Amino acid sequence: MATIEAHGLGKSYGGKPAVADLSFEVRPGSVTGFLGPNGAGKSTTMRLMLGLDNGAGSTTYDGKPFVELRHPMRHVGALLEAKPFHPTRKARNHLRMLAAANGISTARVDEVLALVGLTEVAKAKPKGFSMGMGQRLGLAAALLGEPHTLILDEPANGLDPQGIQWMRLFLKSLAAEGRSIFVSSHLLSEMALMADHLVVIGKGRLIATGPVEEFVNSSSGNAVIVRTPDASTLADLLVGRGAQVVATEPGLLTVVGMTADAVGDLAFDHGVRLHELSHKVATLEEAFLERTAGAEEFQAHAVAEGSAS
Amino acid sequence: MRAAFAYEWVRIRTIRSTWWLTALAVVFGVGISTLFSWAIHHDFTSSGINESDLDGLAPIVTTQLSASGHVPSVVCFILAILGIFAWGHEYRHGMIRASLTALNSRSALWTAKYVVVGIWVAVVATVTMLLSALVATIFLHDFVTVFTAQTWGVIGRQVLYGVLLTWLAMAFTSVTRSQAFALVSIFLWPLLIEVLITFFFQLVPGLRDHTEVLRFLPFSAGSRMVDVLTSSSGTFSDPLSALGGTIVFGGLAAAVMVASYALFEKRDA
Repeated sequence: MATIEAHGLGKSYGGKPAVADLSFEVRPGSVTGFLGPNGAGKSTTMRLMLGLDNGAGSTTYDGKPFVELRHPMRHVGALLEAKPFHPTRKARNHLRMLAAANGISTARVDEVLALVGLTEVAKAKPKGFSMGMGQRLGLAAALLGEPHTLILDEPANGLDPQGIQWMRLFLKSLAAEGRSIFVSSHLLSEMALMADHLVVIGKGRLIATGPVEEFVNSSSGNAVIVRTPDASTLADLLVGRGAQVVATEPGLLTVVGMTADAVGDLAFDHGVRLHELSHKVATLEEAFLERTAGAEEFQAHAVAEGSAS
Repeated sequence: MRAAFAYEWVRIRTIRSTWWLTALAVVFGVGISTLFSWAIHHDFTSSGINESDLDGLAPIVTTQLSASGHVPSVVCFILAILGIFAWGHEYRHGMIRASLTALNSRSALWTAKYVVVGIWVAVVATVTMLLSALVATIFLHDFVTVFTAQTWGVIGRQVLYGVLLTWLAMAFTSVTRSQAFALVSIFLWPLLIEVLITFFFQLVPGLRDHTEVLRFLPFSAGSRMVDVLTSSSGTFSDPLSALGGTIVFGGLAAAVMVASYALFEKRDA
């Protein structure tokens, strides 16, 4: 089972850096989510990792660069395009062609077609495939060589909810077998359920890397909600202890920087009556938006009131 | 390298265009030779034979008239489209990234494409000309021997021309990464651009004295590879010899192929 080590990845287009000095590691036995706003450089990074784009830095799979792997599909499976096949080459033939380059048997081709649920359309031309079916065929190609590493760019694109759930469980089961799964997605709720680790980038630079839980816990969206009739007294006490306090509405405080236990103890020690003391746990989306604020390549603006006439 | 050949071998056989272009080349090739043989047979039978009518007749019929030096080879031009598709499909359908994740050696993929497509074109062109020669024998055996050393020589040079034309088309597609542009160019160049240049030289007074350079126009030079009606006094004399034509046309193909390789290695997939 392979560790992916990306070191100093860099790529510029017309002098503008798309990826800059990006280093991270993907460990076996885990799903590592690759997050970043649109235009952050996720796809470019994946292409750099596979030697498809020329740029700075290096990526190794158990110490070997991709271009040095014999029968690469037996080591690294990749899904980079939404429909990476010729529209009139039958699905099974598309896989046979890739298999031929890697010494993989035709029996395995039929096996992966069954695995992704495309047996019935194996002899159909993919030009009639929906986006979800195309993704399944792309995933079948990535799985052909039973690789220890999967690099998947937005694999859930176009899948229906059942397909997304299937993909999540499938990738988690592959990770449980000890494989390294590196997957980008803009479906943050899905990533929260699927990923064990995260690599977060913005404007081509690393913003954060580590366990999902750690990333979410670092968000200021994690807070303690306190409902009390003595809000101003308690707020003063909390601020005195270094917490950040926001009076959300009369009698309701949102406290950041202290645990619920500490808030409760403080209130008790000073005779402040509490009606509610609860945790507000940040979502991955909140943590992501907070950490990538200002790192968007393309920023939309709210429609001004009354502008639509 | 074996992996790249295996990949390309499956690739070329699993796409419908390979088969319809192959069928088109054989049907057109043999069809034209059949029609021409039949017409000649009819003419010779009804009007008699003039000795000069037999000059180069066998290779001309066998090559669908291109050995006359005046008609581009229909078979070779149809087969060259296979070469355009070999690279065109990679870029038009985003296949290149799938190809390069299945085969991580760019030089192996590049080489395998040229070799496999080249062999396919050579085999189809040979079969087409052999069938054409057979048809010519059936119609014209009373008047001319078709399978002569001259015919075999022309068949060999025509196959070489077909392979060079295909490689030129492939290289051009790979450089431009545009199937449509390559398709248009490969037909416009010999049929329009070189004709326009020739007219320019004939009409512009300052250029009229330099028409001898026109023999180096690549497709004009390529046509000299199989021309059996016009003799040449030297390799690069005017007109070029078959060898001279091969060097000029092959030189262009080689130059564009080198550019194609260099760009393929350097560019992002």
